[in-house]
Amino acid sequence: MDNIYKPTIAKIIEIIDETPDTRTFKLELQDPEYKKNFTFKAGQFAEYSVFGEGECTFCIASSPTRTDYIECSFKQAGKVTNALRKLNIGDVIGFRGPYGNHFPLEEMKNKDVLFIAGGIGLAPVRCLIWNVLDLRDQFNNVTIIYGARSVSDLVYKRELNEWQNRKDIKTVITVDPGGETSDWKGEIGFVPSIVEKVNPDSKNCIAIVCGPPIMIKYTMPILTKIGFNDESIITTLENRMKCGLGKCGRCNIGSVYVCKDGPVFTYKELKQLPQEY
Amino acid sequence: MNNLYNIAKDLFSTNKVDLIIGYKSIDSKRTKPIFVSSNEDVDHLVFNEYSLNNLSVYLTRKDIKKYNKIGILAKGCDIRAIVQLINENQIEREKILIISKKCNGVVKDFGLEYNEENIAEKCKSCKVRTPKVFDLMIDSEEEKKLPEPTISSRVNELDSMTPEERFEFWRNEFSKCIRCYACRQACPLCYCERCIVDKNIPDWIESSPTQRANFSWNLIRAFHLSGRCIGCGECERVCPVDIPLSLLNAKMGIVTFKEFNYATGMEIGEPTLVGNYSNEDNEDFIK
Amino acid sequence: MYRIKKQDFSKIIDELIKTGNRIISYSNNGNDFKRINSSNELSINSNFKPSKLSLKEIVFPKTEPLFYYKRTNDNVELKDIKFDSEKTIIIGAKPCDAKAFSTISKVFNWDYKDNFFNSKYENTIIIGLKCDYKDEYCFCNEVGLSQSSKEGSDIFIELDGDDYFIYILSEKGKNLFQPFMSYLIEEIKESKVDDIDKIIDLNKVRTWITDNFDSNFWYSISQECLGCGKCAFICPTCHCFDIVDENYTYFEGRRMKNWDACQFGKFTLHASGHNPRDIQAKRYRQRIAHKFKYYFDKFDELLCTGCGRCSRECPVSINIFDVIKEINAK
Repeated sequence: MDNIYKPTIAKIIEIIDETPDTRTFKLELQDPEYKKNFTFKAGQFAEYSVFGEGECTFCIASSPTRTDYIECSFKQAGKVTNALRKLNIGDVIGFRGPYGNHFPLEEMKNKDVLFIAGGIGLAPVRCLIWNVLDLRDQFNNVTIIYGARSVSDLVYKRELNEWQNRKDIKTVITVDPGGETSDWKGEIGFVPSIVEKVNPDSKNCIAIVCGPPIMIKYTMPILTKIGFNDESIITTLENRMKCGLGKCGRCNIGSVYVCKDGPVFTYKELKQLPQEY
Repeated sequence: MNNLYNIAKDLFSTNKVDLIIGYKSIDSKRTKPIFVSSNEDVDHLVFNEYSLNNLSVYLTRKDIKKYNKIGILAKGCDIRAIVQLINENQIEREKILIISKKCNGVVKDFGLEYNEENIAEKCKSCKVRTPKVFDLMIDSEEEKKLPEPTISSRVNELDSMTPEERFEFWRNEFSKCIRCYACRQACPLCYCERCIVDKNIPDWIESSPTQRANFSWNLIRAFHLSGRCIGCGECERVCPVDIPLSLLNAKMGIVTFKEFNYATGMEIGEPTLVGNYSNEDNEDFIK
Repeated sequence: MYRIKKQDFSKIIDELIKTGNRIISYSNNGNDFKRINSSNELSINSNFKPSKLSLKEIVFPKTEPLFYYKRTNDNVELKDIKFDSEKTIIIGAKPCDAKAFSTISKVFNWDYKDNFFNSKYENTIIIGLKCDYKDEYCFCNEVGLSQSSKEGSDIFIELDGDDYFIYILSEKGKNLFQPFMSYLIEEIKESKVDDIDKIIDLNKVRTWITDNFDSNFWYSISQECLGCGKCAFICPTCHCFDIVDENYTYFEGRRMKNWDACQFGKFTLHASGHNPRDIQAKRYRQRIAHKFKYYFDKFDELLCTGCGRCSRECPVSINIFDVIKEINAK
């Protein structure tokens, strides 16, 4: 009989500090059989354990097209994330996943794709960005709009540069007013207002939005104004999750379990949920 | 006539209160808390031998604190909790209007007939049957003689055990605990924003209902209530697995009275036991 | 359908105890249940009030380990738990308790199979008992059950003078009684159809819950709620749980699965400090909505069997049947 709560072991092979409180781990699954058979889709998440402290939910931030390793990014917030920060390269953690649904990659093909992210919300979206870029010719125009509170709060800085230097995508990076440094060459303004300024073409375009609740709250009406309908706006919901398997009840909103029927939802589906997330 | 209905009606019509927390009858042997904010529901209010709940537990709630003047039906034991909350600076005296009566005891639990056999244990040794702190007194019957208390004999029984036997007694009782925290939620003196058991950096008290963690939880609660528990017995009444929590509280009360001559919640303005110290404090138990 | 003499039934129980089965029976006053060591301790009484704690402890214990871990210098060893396989027979379960087992089996088995639950449930045989108890807190008939409902039971007993009338309802029940068929006398009894007088329109209740998410009703109905977990923990169908790690030493420990309740203030608290259900009214709304709408929408079952325990035991006497009646009257 299977034990669905038992994690597999993953070793930390690289640590990258994105911002003062956000860190990325590059992990290698240790069980060779498991690693060989492991696949996932962009948007899915996993439960990462520090044995002795507990388990924590983060999305899988690396692309499914790159299978040698798994990346996750987390912000220091509570018991388990504090414990994760004390770990070094070579330490092992538990990994349980992939869980949840995924971004509708197939439906995005042959369309324009607009990525909008704020702060650490870039992590789940980044997985999809690389997935799309690794299959670039299957998609039309690709636009990335990303913002954070200040320059030091931007995550995946090295990749932002890479995306900005690519000719086949349009990348707009912004910081909140007051968050710029003297040599900042990007935009200055809140993400929703930058989206309005960029004014992307909503015809035949899918928008992927992820960020803090307040950013989402102000971005959605702007997308609607530009002409996106509710089914073309997709977001991923952060919620308190425990088992990841649709049983413990922690992430239950209405008749939906965020860990099973989500965390990826269209704006239309989100509106139908009781507003308690 | 100083009956409950007239008093309550008068309080609202003269704008002396904007909320009354009281009891409402559900059937002949059960009441429940009710929040009355206008004259409309005043006729639901009752105050009888089935008014078991300690309503002072609501006084520290955010949604109740926003009222300007709160009337509250309180038995002598409940008033001790109100006094202690005032002494611990959790509520302001001026905001509370205590409505009480001479108490002839309440039943052990809902559904029991009010008679000598079913009187709650705490009532048998009660020293505040006619409360000394109150604002309004409702007319009530004369004081009846209540049966002799047995709590001290139960405490003595435990005291006469060897430490090993006592440990075994409590090990057995605490292993039943399911960590529902009904005891904590029903206790008016458990008002911490974030209880020690909810803190997890570090994990002071394990949350699993295992024997060792249940021991930690029940003992830490007893410690945190030492010198603060007023003996209303709600914790024991609400416990789903019948752990005799009153024994712990009674023992604490006996010790604090013997060593410090302190009884919780008797006088407004009295310095709290663990919140104050003086050079004259007894120290002979420190060896 | 069979008739069996009480003393023969006791003989069967003694034989089952001898062959290593764990027999669970109610205590003499019906307040709780325990393992018995002989048929003398059997307590089969249809007039018992539902026990204080529900029977869910038998398949969903209040705490159980998921696996053990041992940290070494640069690695971690995980040790498996052996799944429970003790053969258990519950005797005298009320219809409201027997049904609950099959209800929660749905959430523990959809998509991923929780084998901690399954290993216990598969090895448990439920002998239900026709109920003759009713008080103002019971409402099993409102949620599709009745005093003689056989749903969820493997074997069902009705008292009949000095005999029991037995229905064998499942494969498990058939296999259990296979060696004892000589004690059973086949008999057909006409089933009296229970008087199911319903006053609640559950569809109406569901619709009202959907359309009135922000209603002040949720606040007024739960103002006195203390926010403890008593109702959820004694409920036979509540199944939310928490997963925590517990250390024995710096290196070793185990991961535990414990009962949890949506009524606790910190149930939905995020590490960021955001709490979607930050006041008791929202948490109480979740309890009612989950039981009478969400679980039904997802699994076609109500997450309530009308046993009334939560109402009887609530420290502040909130009565779930009253809440449903009020919604029904809107």
